[in-house]
Amino acid sequence: MEEEEEDRLSNDELMDDWLIESIKLYNNLHAFELQDPTKVIEWTGEKSICVAGFKSGGRSEILELTLPQKLCAKEDQGLCPERDFKMEHGGFSERPIYCLKHVQGTRLLVSSGPPDNSLQIWQIGVDDSDVIRLLNCINNEEQNNHWSKIATSAAGSPCVLHGTHVKNLQVTEIESTKNVFLPGIASVDLVSSLEFLSKDAFLLCSVRGQMWLMDMRQQKVVAAQDVCALPAEDFYWCMGVERRQPDLDAVPCRVAKLSSTGYIFVSDVRNLAKHMCQTKVSIPSPVAENKFMNVSWAPALDNNIAVSGFSGSIEIYNITSWHSTDTEACPMFVHKGHTVLEDRDKGEIPLVTAHTWHPWKPRTVLSAATDGSLQVWEWR
Amino acid sequence: KNEIKGAGQDVGRSCILVSIGGKNVMLDCGMHMGFNDDRRFPDFSYITQNGRLTEFLDCVIVSHFHLDHCGALPYMSEMVGYDGPIYMTHPTKAICPILLEDFRKITVDKKGETNFFTSQMIKDCMKKVTAVNLHQTVQVDDELEIKAYYAGHVLGAAMFQIKVGAESVVYTGDYNMTPDRHLGAAWIDKCRPDIVISESTYATTIRDSKRCRERDFLKKVHETVERGGKVLIPVFALGRAQELCILLETFWERMNLKAPIYFSTGLTEKANHYYKLFITWTNQKIRKTFVQRNMFEFKHIKPFDRSYTDNPGPMVVFATPGMLHAGQSLQIFKKWAGNDKNMVILPGYCVQGTVGYKILNGQRKLEMEGRNTLEVKMQVEYMSFSAHADAKGIMQLIRMAEPRNVLLVHGEAKKMEFLKQKIEQEFSVNCYMPANGETTTITTNPNIPVDISLSLLKRESVPGALPDPKKPRIMHGTLIMKDNSLRLVSSEQALKELGLVEHHLRFTCRVHIQDPHSEQDTLNKIYSHLKTVLKDSSIQHLPDGTLMVESILIKVSTASEDPSTKILLVSWTYQVQDLRRILLKCIIQSHLAEIS
Repeated sequence: MEEEEEDRLSNDELMDDWLIESIKLYNNLHAFELQDPTKVIEWTGEKSICVAGFKSGGRSEILELTLPQKLCAKEDQGLCPERDFKMEHGGFSERPIYCLKHVQGTRLLVSSGPPDNSLQIWQIGVDDSDVIRLLNCINNEEQNNHWSKIATSAAGSPCVLHGTHVKNLQVTEIESTKNVFLPGIASVDLVSSLEFLSKDAFLLCSVRGQMWLMDMRQQKVVAAQDVCALPAEDFYWCMGVERRQPDLDAVPCRVAKLSSTGYIFVSDVRNLAKHMCQTKVSIPSPVAENKFMNVSWAPALDNNIAVSGFSGSIEIYNITSWHSTDTEACPMFVHKGHTVLEDRDKGEIPLVTAHTWHPWKPRTVLSAATDGSLQVWEWR
Repeated sequence: KNEIKGAGQDVGRSCILVSIGGKNVMLDCGMHMGFNDDRRFPDFSYITQNGRLTEFLDCVIVSHFHLDHCGALPYMSEMVGYDGPIYMTHPTKAICPILLEDFRKITVDKKGETNFFTSQMIKDCMKKVTAVNLHQTVQVDDELEIKAYYAGHVLGAAMFQIKVGAESVVYTGDYNMTPDRHLGAAWIDKCRPDIVISESTYATTIRDSKRCRERDFLKKVHETVERGGKVLIPVFALGRAQELCILLETFWERMNLKAPIYFSTGLTEKANHYYKLFITWTNQKIRKTFVQRNMFEFKHIKPFDRSYTDNPGPMVVFATPGMLHAGQSLQIFKKWAGNDKNMVILPGYCVQGTVGYKILNGQRKLEMEGRNTLEVKMQVEYMSFSAHADAKGIMQLIRMAEPRNVLLVHGEAKKMEFLKQKIEQEFSVNCYMPANGETTTITTNPNIPVDISLSLLKRESVPGALPDPKKPRIMHGTLIMKDNSLRLVSSEQALKELGLVEHHLRFTCRVHIQDPHSEQDTLNKIYSHLKTVLKDSSIQHLPDGTLMVESILIKVSTASEDPSTKILLVSWTYQVQDLRRILLKCIIQSHLAEIS
């Protein structure tokens, strides 16, 4: 007991040291503890996010949280004492939630998770209550414990693009649950990431790193990127699309592809065949699956990318400093908060499960880890 | 039955009325800090329309010294009238009057209010207070007992268990489940109360960690001092001041900073005095370091002298009072407000009318006495350090205490359907969320323990089998209630103890049957028939010609009017009714069979 107390006290001191150091590193830093870890952080509004549990065997909670006042204030931030998240709405899910997407402009959420590829449709706050209620389900076939990836679009009637494998992707209208489009791309690979670029076009990435840009109006693939000629260990890839102005023609839209061994390739969405730039980032070791791998673009900064899922930290890179895959890129900033800030049993280093950028505050990121921590940070 | 009344939080007040086992208990008696008129006091007309409250309340409990929990206490006891016992912990009893007096001064002297309690009333009120220790069972009367548990949150804050017979309620007041630099976390045993009453204003919040708040505080102080500015931190004598001092001291030490830090005169002495007095109420870390050196005597923090206000260069000053409404903190503020390099950090809530309140609401030009205008150019920061239990904390507390029901009180009529479901499903309890003025009735199933005599237990229990709570059996015995004991004994023992003789009730009926044979033959026939049908019962021929089936007697005689008619005289005690019924049925059946 004495030793435990001693350890706790010295752990406190280490934390204090990091905290004091962090004064120089961060403008803002908030650390929260969720009851259960989440692997999704999905924006449902300018000031609200949804998180959800993913534990197997038992119920998971979906929570809609409003951001602390202090993070939303545009001026006179000093006068806002509020540093806490507020649980606005909550719901219960019988299955773990591995993917959660919000349908923009509505109060609907779409989720998926094992044991099958079906989707659950949720409504946030029915009848002025604070409950997130399950409305409906789409597809219920057994698919060998694979769960669907999801992308949502609210253009026209709310739709969801979903599927476990590239060949069985579907676009389903949420209200009628009828399929409105079947891409029919002949590939047996598992889907890794899906993203709508506009109401008619979407980008898809398979776990082997193949990408397709599909135009639903023209009903065909308008651009594609093949599998990279890299060592075979690169089993898992995921992508992050740059979210700029909604008008595709104005600013080139870029996509970054991340491998489980740390390779990143950046391409122009309309010219997928070529890589604009590439690099290899330093990771402790390749991950066995792409469960938590995440790459994303800063919406309020130029050329900034965040990478997470390999360890307990999140790295921010500026792609203009990338030259080739021969030299490892140096991150501009590394957030170590998840490994340092929480009290935990010794030996368990948390893994970052998800991260997302604040829509308009530059250099502000929200991140979550396997120990249930949720942090909001803005580096200097 | 449990009644909730006026439980406000946030900038509200707490005052809850509980009726339990015929006793009425008032939990907290707070002042609503947002109102300037009588709305700030709880509405006691709910208890009685006129007159004193003494006969309606069995006791009053105050959980901690924050004004939204004790601010209306002198008003209630001296102006409305209550002479019964008031309970609170030792630190609360020591600190309450100081805060009440401070508050009274602002309200009366600064704002010129008249309908308010006086200094004497505060003193008289405190005379009615009995201080309690943690985990000490206090008998309020021969039926009502209370016990205080550590709540964290502020020095001396406690959660209270109120027990009447087998029913109990736990009131949490404000509590905190995470330890901080000077206080521990709340703790309660598995006392399994019928209800846990908890504040729920923060139930739907997910709190930012203490460390990040502290970081922010240090960052602001550091930045100001680095650019040569002065930092003013208005504080109450007791409260966050000590914690912030410990924090700054640690920081200054680590960073090897040279700028001076000062503490208002009198503050250190008072603080040290109280913390020394109540060292058992602080956390392990403080107690440990206290042994080595006095935690509240600082290396980098020195007592302040008024003349230092004009010293050039950076400095940090902790000064009272906390809302910048008078005294030293206001004087310093006036001198430093005009320089934009300086900063004022308000670590707590400020009452309406104070300078603190005004600047927190963005006012940049203030009217001082003598019609002077003060332009505020210094940076204004508001930092909230109050430690409350959030969603996670409430779940932890419920898990610790294992109540049968949960009652959440809050100020706003906010719908918390999700939290209610979560609590109900996770703990299999009922969760109630009444609004202000609403009454919640909770039915309890109290267990009544009864002693059972060994002989009765032996007789009634099934040999070899353990009692199964899922399969209750009906037992026959007599319940004797004498004085305070309840005993279950066998009927015979009861009669013996009471010196009574058992009365036997015997019934007789006549059954007419057609049977031309002799009486003896009829009897024998019945005997044989019963023997075959009632195999398990004891059937005997008695020497006087009576048939005895268990304890039922059958006698046969011939009807005087008709020799072929036999009269069966059946006699039984009231206990064997069922057997009699079966018996009669058998007899009649046997004879019908014969006839047919």
